[in-house]
Amino acid sequence: MTEMQLNIGMARPQQPPAPPSMGWRIPGLLLEVRQHAPIWFQTLVLLCGMATGLGLSFLILLAAGVPADGLVVEFKSIFSNTTNIASLLTQLAPLLIVGLSAAVAFRVQFWNIGIEGQMIFGSIAATFVAINDIGPEPLRLPLMMAAAAIGGMAWIIVPALLRIRFGVNEIISTLLLNYVAVNFLLHLLYGSWRDPKSSFPNSEQYTAAERLPQLGWESLTYALPLALVLTLFCWWLFSLSRFGFYTRIVQSNPKMALAMGLPVIAVTLGAALLSGALAGIAGFTISSGVEYRLTQSFFLGYGFSGILIAFLARNNMIGAILVSILVATFFIASQSLQVFYQVPGAIVQLIQAVIVISVAGFEFFNRFRLRLAR
Amino acid sequence: MPILELHDVSKSFDGFQAVADASFDLVPGELHALLGENGAGKSSLMNIVAGLYRPDKGRIRVKGEDVHIDGPSIAKKLGIGMVHQHYKLVKAFNAVENILLAAGADKYRTGLAEVEKSVCEHCEEMGFAVDLKRPVGALSVAEQQRVEILKVLVNGAEIIILDEPSAVLTDSEAAALLKVMRTLAAKGAAVVLITHKLGEVKAFADRVTIMRGGRTVTTADPKGSSLADLTAKIIGQAVCETRHPAKAIGAPVLHLKAITGARADGHRTLHGVDLTLRAGELYGIAGVGGNGQPELAEILMGVNRPTGGTLEFVGAGDISRSNPAERRKLGLVCIPADRATYGLAGELSICENYIVTGVRNGRFGSWTRVNWRSGAASTKDAVSAFEVLGVRSTRQKASLLSGGNAQKLVIARELASPPRIVVAHSPSRGLDARATSEVRRRLLEARDAGAAVLLISEDLDEIMLMSDRIGVMTRGRIVQEFEAPADRQLLGKAMVHHD
Repeated sequence: MTEMQLNIGMARPQQPPAPPSMGWRIPGLLLEVRQHAPIWFQTLVLLCGMATGLGLSFLILLAAGVPADGLVVEFKSIFSNTTNIASLLTQLAPLLIVGLSAAVAFRVQFWNIGIEGQMIFGSIAATFVAINDIGPEPLRLPLMMAAAAIGGMAWIIVPALLRIRFGVNEIISTLLLNYVAVNFLLHLLYGSWRDPKSSFPNSEQYTAAERLPQLGWESLTYALPLALVLTLFCWWLFSLSRFGFYTRIVQSNPKMALAMGLPVIAVTLGAALLSGALAGIAGFTISSGVEYRLTQSFFLGYGFSGILIAFLARNNMIGAILVSILVATFFIASQSLQVFYQVPGAIVQLIQAVIVISVAGFEFFNRFRLRLAR
Repeated sequence: MPILELHDVSKSFDGFQAVADASFDLVPGELHALLGENGAGKSSLMNIVAGLYRPDKGRIRVKGEDVHIDGPSIAKKLGIGMVHQHYKLVKAFNAVENILLAAGADKYRTGLAEVEKSVCEHCEEMGFAVDLKRPVGALSVAEQQRVEILKVLVNGAEIIILDEPSAVLTDSEAAALLKVMRTLAAKGAAVVLITHKLGEVKAFADRVTIMRGGRTVTTADPKGSSLADLTAKIIGQAVCETRHPAKAIGAPVLHLKAITGARADGHRTLHGVDLTLRAGELYGIAGVGGNGQPELAEILMGVNRPTGGTLEFVGAGDISRSNPAERRKLGLVCIPADRATYGLAGELSICENYIVTGVRNGRFGSWTRVNWRSGAASTKDAVSAFEVLGVRSTRQKASLLSGGNAQKLVIARELASPPRIVVAHSPSRGLDARATSEVRRRLLEARDAGAAVLLISEDLDEIMLMSDRIGVMTRGRIVQEFEAPADRQLLGKAMVHHD
């Protein structure tokens, strides 16, 4: 992913400015470095990349044995049937929140790969509130959500501090903590939190007061409005507020930010914690809005999807909504493809990966210009 | 017969005409200086020769034959070697490995031995001292430069291009380097020296070609032209600098008391710096590079902590532990030596770079909302007031500004609200004559408005021209202070003859 140069610690060596342009020859074509690509052009390049990725995915599905007309019908039905639209929107909420989580961290060059671990700890914290009946019933849901945010933050603060204090690469630490979180989750679900009624490795079911209430249209819950409010909040924080301005300077040149008297450490830590909190809340919306209990696989695929959404949306909070709709479509489509054509569920991840590679490949056109040689 | 001829070569980048119908010729055995302001097109022209840029039009002839230099490898085959301003070295490799990489030998092991032999011969021939076994990242800048020169020589270059080689060297290192280049020229090589230092040109060049605005203005014999003459051709008009002593020196503002400091690796660089800055006075720190100047600047900026001593800000007590934000609140601003590190965020817009301190102190909006409109308006005013050129829009990336204009932007930001103390570290390094004189004028204006200005510079002429008081810094100490105007000989003596 071209946008994601690794940044290990604050002591990023400063590159000398690149020479303004280099030209060299491919037979018949001339390649030049672009100094600046206008927004409309970048958008066009992004759309072309996505179209290519979708085209390739289509071919992959054909090769997997899905007939072309079946595929068309499949996607048509997602948008024509209210039940399907409702499940799309239900799927959208957690995806949008993990997308925000990734984008928030990436805005300060904190490569949070541990979204799934933070989701797990968010849900564990929320479930802890639920099964111990902490607080009065009307306050139960807000408490669960706050607990989820704190759980997510708890799971990211260690990598964040290690990175800020010692320059430990957060890609490694957040990634590895995912496995710790999964095993701790299994330990709970196969141990003390196992549902006493069914003895399946799930927590006991949440009571009515611990479930996100329905909006009154199909099966839609308050998870979606919550996701949209969080999007609006992140948009304000990063596009309008002073904090957002600081993040731009810190992302671009941390040493200069320090010399200008900006609170570099607070900004980095703040964004990382917000990222963890959002991931925790995403876990809560699944446990409390869809599954109504803590399960052992509710988080699967969300970590990578979050990164994908942030990447395709260029860390733009509003753009994340559009990309999340696309990714939610894949999730829904894959569910029925699994049922009707026995396509493995991992196909979603494959499609996502193909799209990321295509978009990253098309990034070439933002950086270079091809011209016919004289 | 010329070994290299350029006829009417042009090159533009995204609509910006960097080189316009430039012509140039080079004969074996000469040291040919290419002189001009920042952004005059000197480096671009020579990058075309080195095969990094393809010209839009024009003819290039090497040894009388028309050539298309379509890449550095072709330039190498033609016997052209260039030492770039930013070295192209793999920092984790040692010198021999770097040279081997450029030479492109077939076999690593045998190639290494061959290259090492060749490198040693060249080193001996020119009296170069380079540690061939250490990773080049651990070498000093001067040593890295020698590695680059050796790379060019081992490749058998007959045309050697040096892009501002003395910008990173001390005066004596630069003189030594240019003597070596003279020796090479005497043996038949053709050397191009890109520079904007007139002194070097007068002392070492056989011929000089002057560029201005992408065009080659004239080619002349430097011995037959006066400094004023050359300067006039470089900038199109003569500048003359006179001293402007302080009119009203006020009370002390900052006392540095026994400041000691060390680098991150524990190497001690400052051994007790004592000095006092007074309002309305410009205090110049003279000294040969590497005597603790960058460390002192970083301690004053607040990005590094001293290991001992105090910084007593009159009325605010010891600020040696305060962070940059607290210092800025007291009115201490800095013009850092390394713009790319501490001065600007190149990827961000001119506006963002300008308003950053104002956003911090609440001048542009509250914490809930940055006021971009007033920020952009202030940026526009500052850009025109400080004559920052080459700004098409305040949303343009700061990295697209040339060195002098980027420096003016930094100064515009730092002097946006009247400061009490200005720390300026090598503020005119790498700048052309016009930008230099503007930068100096701004510093004097700040001083005359009542600020205490600390000027740290390795350029003795600059120190003598600007300062009201001069401290000579040697081995991490102020060894002697002079009242201006000071005697150049005495200053020089203090800089060198101290133990």
